[in-house]
Amino acid sequence: MPCHLIHERAATAPRTLTLRARPLRIALVGQPNVGKSVVFGRLTGRYVTVSNYPGTTVAVTKGRSVVGAEVCDIVDTPGVNALDGTISEDERITRDVIASDNADLIVQIADARNIRRALMLTSQLAVFDKPMVLALNMIDEAWSRGVSIDAAALSAELGIPVVEMVAVEGRGLSELRDALASTARPDVPAHPHANDRAVWAHTLAERVRRTSTFSLAHVQEALAAATRRPVTGIPIFVAVLYALYLFVGVFGAQILVKLFEDDVFGRGINPASVWLVDHFIPVPLIRDFLVGQYGLITMGVTYSVAIVLPVVATFFLMFGFLEDSGYIPRLAIFCDRIFRVMGLNGKAVLPMVLGLGCDTMATMTTRILGTPKERLIAILLLALGIPCSAQLATIMGILGGISFAALATLFAVVLGQMFIVGWLAARVLTGDRSEFILELPPIRWPRLGNLLTKTRLRIWWYLGEAVPLFLVGTALLFVLDRIGALVVIAAAGRPIVTGLLGLPAETAQILVMGFLRRDYGAAGLFQLAHSGQLSGVQAVVALTVMTLFVPCVANFLMMVRERGLKTGLAILAVITPVAIFTGGGLNHVLHALGVRF
Amino acid sequence: MSSMHLVSGSNSVRPLSSLREGARGRIVEVRLEDSGRVDRLLALGVTPGALVTVMQTFPGIVFLCDQTELAVERSVAATILVRPLEK
Repeated sequence: MPCHLIHERAATAPRTLTLRARPLRIALVGQPNVGKSVVFGRLTGRYVTVSNYPGTTVAVTKGRSVVGAEVCDIVDTPGVNALDGTISEDERITRDVIASDNADLIVQIADARNIRRALMLTSQLAVFDKPMVLALNMIDEAWSRGVSIDAAALSAELGIPVVEMVAVEGRGLSELRDALASTARPDVPAHPHANDRAVWAHTLAERVRRTSTFSLAHVQEALAAATRRPVTGIPIFVAVLYALYLFVGVFGAQILVKLFEDDVFGRGINPASVWLVDHFIPVPLIRDFLVGQYGLITMGVTYSVAIVLPVVATFFLMFGFLEDSGYIPRLAIFCDRIFRVMGLNGKAVLPMVLGLGCDTMATMTTRILGTPKERLIAILLLALGIPCSAQLATIMGILGGISFAALATLFAVVLGQMFIVGWLAARVLTGDRSEFILELPPIRWPRLGNLLTKTRLRIWWYLGEAVPLFLVGTALLFVLDRIGALVVIAAAGRPIVTGLLGLPAETAQILVMGFLRRDYGAAGLFQLAHSGQLSGVQAVVALTVMTLFVPCVANFLMMVRERGLKTGLAILAVITPVAIFTGGGLNHVLHALGVRF
Repeated sequence: MSSMHLVSGSNSVRPLSSLREGARGRIVEVRLEDSGRVDRLLALGVTPGALVTVMQTFPGIVFLCDQTELAVERSVAATILVRPLEK
């Protein structure tokens, strides 16, 4: 910490902290995956999702923090590699924040190892002529890889305070707070051309950085290499999928669900609520509404908590581990060629894998993709084929109990359908594909604290988002049942449901509920299968149709928000027939082949 | 911006895509065929003067540029011209 420099400057420059009409706004800006969200969390006490891959944050988050003697607004922004030239949608969001009065003061967070790249960004930030601090984060990782930086010299060269940090451990945070009281406008020559900027950054980095060839990170480096080489990478990928299956599909979807559904709900909560309702509520209609066939407790809560929650929770835990390890972006190397056929590039693996957590969030993450065409294709494929965690739950719960072949058939059909639709979309839609250029994060051992916080918050989010919809859906079913509409729906759906898809007539209402949230529909299938009313082939066909549906109302609204109502409706109009006819085709093929599962 | 300084011999400038795994070199230029791509590479630190090490060549090319590990498709690596360093 170059304290003397800061104090000298503090004496001459006017202090930035004074009485003002609104709180001072401090924007955290930096390259992707340098730890902006960690610093944000440390400053504000508010958790925003932290992961180990570029593009975790794709929207602006605000929070409050006390700096010195005053309350400030802290603004977390999506990572930026550049602020001018060819930039992606999330980078534009950050540039707009910096240019607006949402940033009175800029804290540039940098990966200490990559000081040269950080300086190129510093030079672009300097153009905005706002007071700045440069925080060199992850200084511990830099040291362990033989990189050290002369922060005092750098501070003198740039004319702004420079602090060294290890934000995940809270180190350097008080220094950062102190530095916020003595920010200055950077004294950096203007470099309108990117090339001049690069030369300047390169020269300055060489002056303030010492590198040696030693590295203490041999294990991480060996793991990093193993995950991206085909010879070791493909077996590792298979092992990861298998571990996911064991933890989520077997432990979550079978052992935990059985425990919750049969014991906690089947023997505990449901009989107890039936008893309570029977004794204390005299009106039969309300009794049915709460604990009947379409009861809020016996159906809504049971579905969302007993059937879906255990799988979602195990999935979030495992998924968080993969996110924080830095593994997911490495899959892009293997996927690049396949994605190219679908008009995308390997980078699209990020939103696709994230879709397994939540398609709605992943739809937002498509902002990291290079062109509008790529975004549209990715959004379409997410809505079409990627089952979200809640739906994965019910798929694993139903088909895991039938046979592995049933599970494999579903995924083969869904992936095949995504491939065909992607291939067609790449040819029909106008626009370009961008080239595959992706930064790979280092492999890290996930931090237990972050993992648990993230999982806990995601479970809360699921409970807040899905459970109300499950309840609304159940209430709707109850009303439809009472007014006799379910019978009408079943009759109207008969040609498709029993004719084309070969499913029992009751499935019609479940498919209708699948429009609301496809995991809700799938939970209905789960109960149907559980009570022996679905054959193996029927289960596979029904789940395939459900998986190919648009995920949920929230996902649809997100598509509309990101791409407009017209596009949203167009996606819906493409997906629904594709889902139904794929199911019909599958039904006939399986019957023709005499498959039983 | 053209590739006029292509000289034969051990010190010649070659596209990154032609280097073998483990090879090291210094970037001489990034060819300006497509300004969008140059912008993106530049922003990631792929600039003249930077030290690169090829880490993998299949299925995609992975290289270390300074301290950044980058994965790119072959056609992108072909536009990055490097002067190989002797081991």
